[in-house]
Amino acid sequence: MADHYAETALTNGYEFARGSGYALPEYAFREPPEIASGQPSHHPIVIVGGGITGLSLACALAQYGVPAVLLDEDNTVGVKGASSRGICYTQKSLEIFERLGVYERIAAKGIQWSVGRTFAGQDEVYSFDLRQQSAYNLSTQPPFINIQQFYIEAFLVDRIMELGHIDLRWRNRVTAFQQDDECGTLSVTTPAGDYQVRADYVIDATGSHSPFRKWVGASVTAKKGDDRWCIADVRFQKHPPVERHTWIEAPFNENRAVWQHLMGDGVWRIDYQMAPDADPAEVSREDVVRERLARQFGADAGIEIVWVGPYAYRSECVDQMRHGRVFFMGDSAKVVSPFGARGGNTGIADADNLAWKLAAVLKGRAAPGLLESYHEERHEAACQNVLVTNRTARFLRPAGAAEKLFRDAALSLARQHPFARQFVNTGRMAIANPYTRSSACDTTGGLSVQNVGFEWPDGTPGRVNDLLRWAEGRLLVLVFGSVAPAALERLRGLCETAPMCCVQVLGPDEPASALEHVRDPKGHLQGACHVFGHAWALVRPDAYVAATGETVDAALVHAVGLALGTALEEDAA
Amino acid sequence: MKTQLNLQDADGFYEQLLDAHQGLSEQQSALLNARLILLLANQVGDAKVLKECVEAARTLP
Repeated sequence: MADHYAETALTNGYEFARGSGYALPEYAFREPPEIASGQPSHHPIVIVGGGITGLSLACALAQYGVPAVLLDEDNTVGVKGASSRGICYTQKSLEIFERLGVYERIAAKGIQWSVGRTFAGQDEVYSFDLRQQSAYNLSTQPPFINIQQFYIEAFLVDRIMELGHIDLRWRNRVTAFQQDDECGTLSVTTPAGDYQVRADYVIDATGSHSPFRKWVGASVTAKKGDDRWCIADVRFQKHPPVERHTWIEAPFNENRAVWQHLMGDGVWRIDYQMAPDADPAEVSREDVVRERLARQFGADAGIEIVWVGPYAYRSECVDQMRHGRVFFMGDSAKVVSPFGARGGNTGIADADNLAWKLAAVLKGRAAPGLLESYHEERHEAACQNVLVTNRTARFLRPAGAAEKLFRDAALSLARQHPFARQFVNTGRMAIANPYTRSSACDTTGGLSVQNVGFEWPDGTPGRVNDLLRWAEGRLLVLVFGSVAPAALERLRGLCETAPMCCVQVLGPDEPASALEHVRDPKGHLQGACHVFGHAWALVRPDAYVAATGETVDAALVHAVGLALGTALEEDAA
Repeated sequence: MKTQLNLQDADGFYEQLLDAHQGLSEQQSALLNARLILLLANQVGDAKVLKECVEAARTLP
């Protein structure tokens, strides 16, 4: 077996130093059939990398009933020895996980939080409660859940095995790749020998050390700084409040920043900003870590160190998220600093975005051109996330005297006047990124639909995800209010010719037409679809509106065509 | 961005500004200016106007 993809560098990848660690599940290696047969096999989709992004994609494909092969170089989830990475999962990610069938396990294991407090020195500068914010309060899922990344990965593996369709191949490491008009060809090495596998579509979910960038000649826009951090994941006998606390200038950390967050198993993540260019070996030495923890929590907090990881971050973004047959997703596509949880969460969204499009193309429901919108949508999201995280990084590590001066000004004003709190940037939490320049979305679309509740005709509660599951990867047209007979006819015709389901959404007392219908007594569904009054919303399988409109007319037909990567004109229907 | 006079009392404001800096060290003066910029920026609010002001400030005659 060859070496790992790359030397583990001091990047955004966390390195194990010390701590009692976690027990990770291990998955059995099975000899791939290609080794005995000596013949390369051919598959529609091969996913490389079994991290949170690759597994989310595999699970979504399995849910759509689309077969794929997933190759992972390891035999476990998490990075061996460094089993804790992402911790904070957004409402949008949780909604996706609910659709995939792993949310209940995540909710049971993880920790919900909504209160965040920011301190400078000894003073609280400001606090927020996400539950009080209208952007979050309609979904069935909470604003955030904190949980160790490897738990989600393990839940996804279990769910994939339950759903079938996916050939999970552990300890299968890709060593080379080439592509031509026929297919993409992957060379794979395993403990039982080497083989080749061919694919129509190859998904690079290998992470920040992606070898595919070089293999396909992907250009990358990158930025590197001198900021250094050191994580200590710890358990306490006497623990702090279940809130997100951030310090800009922590007196117990030489006036540098500190993050304090809770996750599953009663483990707290304490993340300390170190001196610029600090030596990772020195700052992660156990006695140094213990001394740092004691300065913050006192000598008698009863601290058990679970894991220590020093890291530096860089910001990187591939300029094209698709190169021929290869799609980059998650950290393979972009690497950001951890502020605002914009790494893993956007990888999950990448996966959810591509999954339904691949499924629709492979099932012949959409044109291959739809796949172009993956880059358009997710590159816009990636660029936005790079921009937002770089702004936070700049606030936390002012580049020079002038930047430090403005931070001092902002912090002092924030103590006195509410407006200035907005300058204090300890991370802008990840959101479901809007799509403003997608060829698959109309200008009225491109926004995420929250997993809000409604009522089925018999009065039982339903959720947006139930409708999406019912549509099974087809588009969903929600028509709000009464529908004229001509419009009804048009919708019926459209549903017969396009892979689309139509549901009428009614108020408590409105009479139903002949369509499938649900009731939206509180208007939550309508609000989630970003429309008012008589309207329609074209909802995609990834819970984004592709378009919205007022009357059921040619604009809807056109929007359905866009969302399927094809020109759809009414006369043809 | 306004380039014609908009201040009600230009001389009065200028004097007030200089007085505010009296007796301050260089560093204290710099902090006062930075705070003042942020306070004034919030009064302006308009992103386009602020952008033009920042660019205009960088452009020396």
